[in-house]
Amino acid sequence: MRLIRLMTLRSLRARPTRWLLSAFGIVLGVATIVAISITNRTALLSVTQLFESTSGRASLVVVPADKAEHGFPETVLRRVREHPEVDIAVPVLHVPTVLVNQSTPAEIDLDFFGTSTGGLLLYGIDTMSDVLVRTYQLRAGRFLGPENSLYEVVLTETFAKDNDIRLGTWIEVVAGNSVELLRVVGLMAKDGPGQLNGGAFGVMPLLAAQRLFYREGKIDQIDVVVSNASASGPRLEQVKEDLQARLGETYVVVYPASQGQRMTQMLGNYQIGLNFLSGIALFVGAFLIFNAFSMNVVERTREYGLLRTIGMTRPQVIRQVLVEAGLLGLGGSGVGSVIGVLLARGLTRAMALLLNQDLARVTVQGDLVVFGGVVGIVVAVLAAVVPAVQAGRITPLEALRVRGAQQTSWVIRRGWLPGIVLLALSTAALIANPFPYDVQFRAGSVVVFFSFAGGALLIPVTVTALERLLRSSISRLYGSSGRLGSANLQRAQARTALTVGALMVGVSMMVIVWAMTDSFKGDLDVWLRGYVGGDLYVTSSLPLGNDIWRRLETLPGVAAVTPVRYFEVTWVKPTGEREEITFMAVDPASYSRVTSFVYTEAMPDEQTALRMLAGGDVVFLSSIMAERSGLRAGDEITLLTRTGARRFTIAAVVLDYYNQGLVVQGSWVDMRRYFRQSGASAFMVKAAPDADAMAVKDEIEQAARRRDQLIIASNAALLQRVNGLMRQAFSMFDVLALISMLVGFFGITNTITMNVTERTREIGMLRCVGMTRAQIVRMVLAEAALMGVIGGVLGLIFGIMLSRIFMLAMTVMSGYRLTYVLGLGRVILAVVVAVAVSQAAALLPSFRAARSRILDAIHYE
Amino acid sequence: MQVLAARALAKEYRMGQRSVTALAGVDFTVERGEFVAIMGPSGSGKSTLLHLIGGLDKPSAGDVTLAGQELAGLDDTAVTLLRRRNIGFVFQFYNLLPTLTAEENICLPLLIDGKDLRPYQERLSQLLHLVGLEDRRHHRPEQLSGGEQQRVALVRALITEPAILLADEPTGNLDSKTGLVIMELLRRLCDALTQTIVLVTHDPRTASYANRVVFLRDGRIAHELHIAPEVPLQQNLRSIVAMMQALETEADLVDADTGMPAPDLD
Ligand SMILES: Nc1ncnc2c1ncn2[C@@H]1O[C@H](COP(=O)(O)OP(=O)(O)O)[C@@H](O)[C@H]1O
Ligand SMILES: [Mg+2]
Repeated sequence: MRLIRLMTLRSLRARPTRWLLSAFGIVLGVATIVAISITNRTALLSVTQLFESTSGRASLVVVPADKAEHGFPETVLRRVREHPEVDIAVPVLHVPTVLVNQSTPAEIDLDFFGTSTGGLLLYGIDTMSDVLVRTYQLRAGRFLGPENSLYEVVLTETFAKDNDIRLGTWIEVVAGNSVELLRVVGLMAKDGPGQLNGGAFGVMPLLAAQRLFYREGKIDQIDVVVSNASASGPRLEQVKEDLQARLGETYVVVYPASQGQRMTQMLGNYQIGLNFLSGIALFVGAFLIFNAFSMNVVERTREYGLLRTIGMTRPQVIRQVLVEAGLLGLGGSGVGSVIGVLLARGLTRAMALLLNQDLARVTVQGDLVVFGGVVGIVVAVLAAVVPAVQAGRITPLEALRVRGAQQTSWVIRRGWLPGIVLLALSTAALIANPFPYDVQFRAGSVVVFFSFAGGALLIPVTVTALERLLRSSISRLYGSSGRLGSANLQRAQARTALTVGALMVGVSMMVIVWAMTDSFKGDLDVWLRGYVGGDLYVTSSLPLGNDIWRRLETLPGVAAVTPVRYFEVTWVKPTGEREEITFMAVDPASYSRVTSFVYTEAMPDEQTALRMLAGGDVVFLSSIMAERSGLRAGDEITLLTRTGARRFTIAAVVLDYYNQGLVVQGSWVDMRRYFRQSGASAFMVKAAPDADAMAVKDEIEQAARRRDQLIIASNAALLQRVNGLMRQAFSMFDVLALISMLVGFFGITNTITMNVTERTREIGMLRCVGMTRAQIVRMVLAEAALMGVIGGVLGLIFGIMLSRIFMLAMTVMSGYRLTYVLGLGRVILAVVVAVAVSQAAALLPSFRAARSRILDAIHYE
Repeated sequence: MQVLAARALAKEYRMGQRSVTALAGVDFTVERGEFVAIMGPSGSGKSTLLHLIGGLDKPSAGDVTLAGQELAGLDDTAVTLLRRRNIGFVFQFYNLLPTLTAEENICLPLLIDGKDLRPYQERLSQLLHLVGLEDRRHHRPEQLSGGEQQRVALVRALITEPAILLADEPTGNLDSKTGLVIMELLRRLCDALTQTIVLVTHDPRTASYANRVVFLRDGRIAHELHIAPEVPLQQNLRSIVAMMQALETEADLVDADTGMPAPDLD
């Protein structure tokens, strides 16, 4: 113990920057893992909690199997109640409506599910029995009376406040084509069921709701409370299966929490990205540790040799190094966990933004923190294994060499051979991609790792070659002393290779982030321009009727108007598995006048495709679904319609990220006849060539009736908002890239400082024979510049390779197939940034070298 | 009792195509309590011999027996343990760990061995007193002079009560006065603690502190000289210098055909 304390802690204290740097790698890795896992769990928990708390004591929920169905008959309630284990079963009618005077949101709310437009969600409930299931926290007034037919409502306090509604007053709500009045008898807290629809929620008596909204005899959901004995575990599962069997295929019995499934499923894609991120962060951490320890072994060769001479065995030396790594991992993990918890706050906020949903407060979650910490320590120790073995190989005689010619190791001299082989093999493997589908991603990561290793082995020769190549330009830039600096690069080859490696990782991270962001933005942009085509986007909280369509078309300055309608349908996969997807209904004729689809496969004739769509029984498939299901144009897809399962021919594959890409486009005609839906979710309006879009917007606003409740946005503004959202979603990635560049920065500072210190005598001699301070500075900067150029170029190459692989992996895992975008500007910028970083990092050490007094330098040591 | 026996010891260094014979068959024994100096011109194989008998390197031929153990039959760990417990080393450059204090440096071999330090406190004080460093215990190497650092290295070599102390040019990096202080110390250690010492040097004055001087030339033992304590120091010194001159002249003769003086290898 004492030995470890003496050797390890002292050596940590002797080289604080180096150790801070490598501990930093672990901090980074652990912080990312902890932050991401906490965020993921918080999001998941919030979503399930939301549904659990809105369902109160209910442990089962009955909903129709077909989402497009308009509820189901009340009589089902009796069949549920007949089950012996069922204590209470309460009916719920969902009524999406909108206040006539509701303060319309100034802008359309965007989230990753598409757009949401607020409105007011009312639940029609059985006033007597519902309170046995759900807890409504009354804040003012009273709850609904026992009479189920009264036109009264209890609203959430916050909604009432936002809309200036006072207790006891009447509110006007839109019901079909008419306006109805409801009396506000109570206000409840935005808690439990009050959290539904973001708090824009209220309850009213069931009978009154059915009458007002033309849903007589219908309900949308039954909440079931089972007897205490069967309230959980396998008994509950048994009741669930019993009920399911009793009710048949048209209904599904689910757990309350699983209603959040769609939301959590959506989280999945973002989480894939985040997991990549933590993988990369960990890799960077491991690389930094490896780097620091290799350097350390090179530098402390004499020390280890001496320890071997006075009787330290090989295993003892190895253990020594590993303990050092473990301690470093421990420290790094500790700090990383704290930062991770803080980071989780920010990340959760980003996630809440994407989901457009309040998430629970982030709490410190012991198990995740411990897991992150353990991973950090294990990675630190593993990364130090190779350097540790190297340290163990040091012979006692190496302690006695007096500044002898530093032995260049085999890795430096001949490492390029296996390096080339590794690189060639891994590149070939990546291009040919011989891996079976299910292990593709994992095999891919291993291959990536090998290509990285191969690249690292190539660094020494690359340095030698590029140094020769660039020497003349460097001496032109930095003067004759620059030439000396350039040549100096060849001296501490191991150190140089490792520093260039750190910079390479930093630059490649940066390039990866750029490529991912740019590619994603590029595709999103292309899609959005089609998706919100035309000039204006007109929507409302409730479906918009045909009359509005006609009225919009006749307004001056309007060239064309086309409706779109989104609703949920069930996709029956060939395996029999079912998945909820979005059906986007369009009117092909007017659609083509306003905007156009973005086809991903070669499309011989757009007109033909649109004509096929107009003809019916045909859909367009999103590229993401095509990728995931392997379906292509000409195949068929089965959807559940009001008249049972029906096959649709896929006429084209199009780019569409709505609902995370789980979307098909069909015709207005099919929507009406197969899904019995009517009304538009939104209208896209194209202004006449000579009309100003903003003027048309004003025109529409004036023409709209009060209860139309239109929300109108210009497409330019919408696109801007989406880009803002994108920037926020990707800002985490930017931070990571920045951090890894910082690591490269410190790496260079460290190496240059070490080189300068080692050559104090030599620099003194150069000053002796007449080199000016400025020349010394230039000499040091030239050396750093070369590292910058080489690290930049290598990082660029690896960044491009890795980002391509990540996109491949993303295609495999989530179906996103992005068009790779990395502009020439970015390519140049990557190298420029690398060089700039190198110069900034070397500035201080170069000044220090120039400041050293000639005599001190000569008497050094 | 024999502490060390080397038989027909040879060492060849291969450097690519060329090979250098550093030692060409050396027979060499050391008795307990003996103080032996190995002398010879630069490049004659002195350090190589010391490395081989200290188990720091493996011979090309021949065998070394140290403290009753044959080195050839031992694996790396066993040789390491032998070094740890039975051999003390002192080098020209003091090779102290810069991050540790004098005392910590000294106790390093014990710590490596996982020993409890308490029983060694007395020996530590005794040795520190002997070398006159009691008040430097908690200094770091950079706060010590060269002579002091070398004395710390010496105490570190002796703390484990090694069977043999091997020193390679211990005074080589010190001014002559400090060098003599170190030699006085070694002499006293040999007399007071019957410490067996083998010392490599090319300085006749340093060698004159030994009981026996072994002269190497071209990797062979060229001559041995016993130093009689009753003979005055100056006379011993003179015979050593004479011997060295003879060896170096012969070395010159070897190179005579090129007409160049022998290159100074150090
Ligand atoms: N590691 C080595 N590789 C090659 N040759 C060596 C090595 N060590 C020593 N030699 C050569 O072996 C000979 C003896 O060296 P050494 O024992 O160091 O001499 P001394 O210590 O007497 O000056 C010299 O010619 C030297 O150049
Ligand atoms: Mg020597």
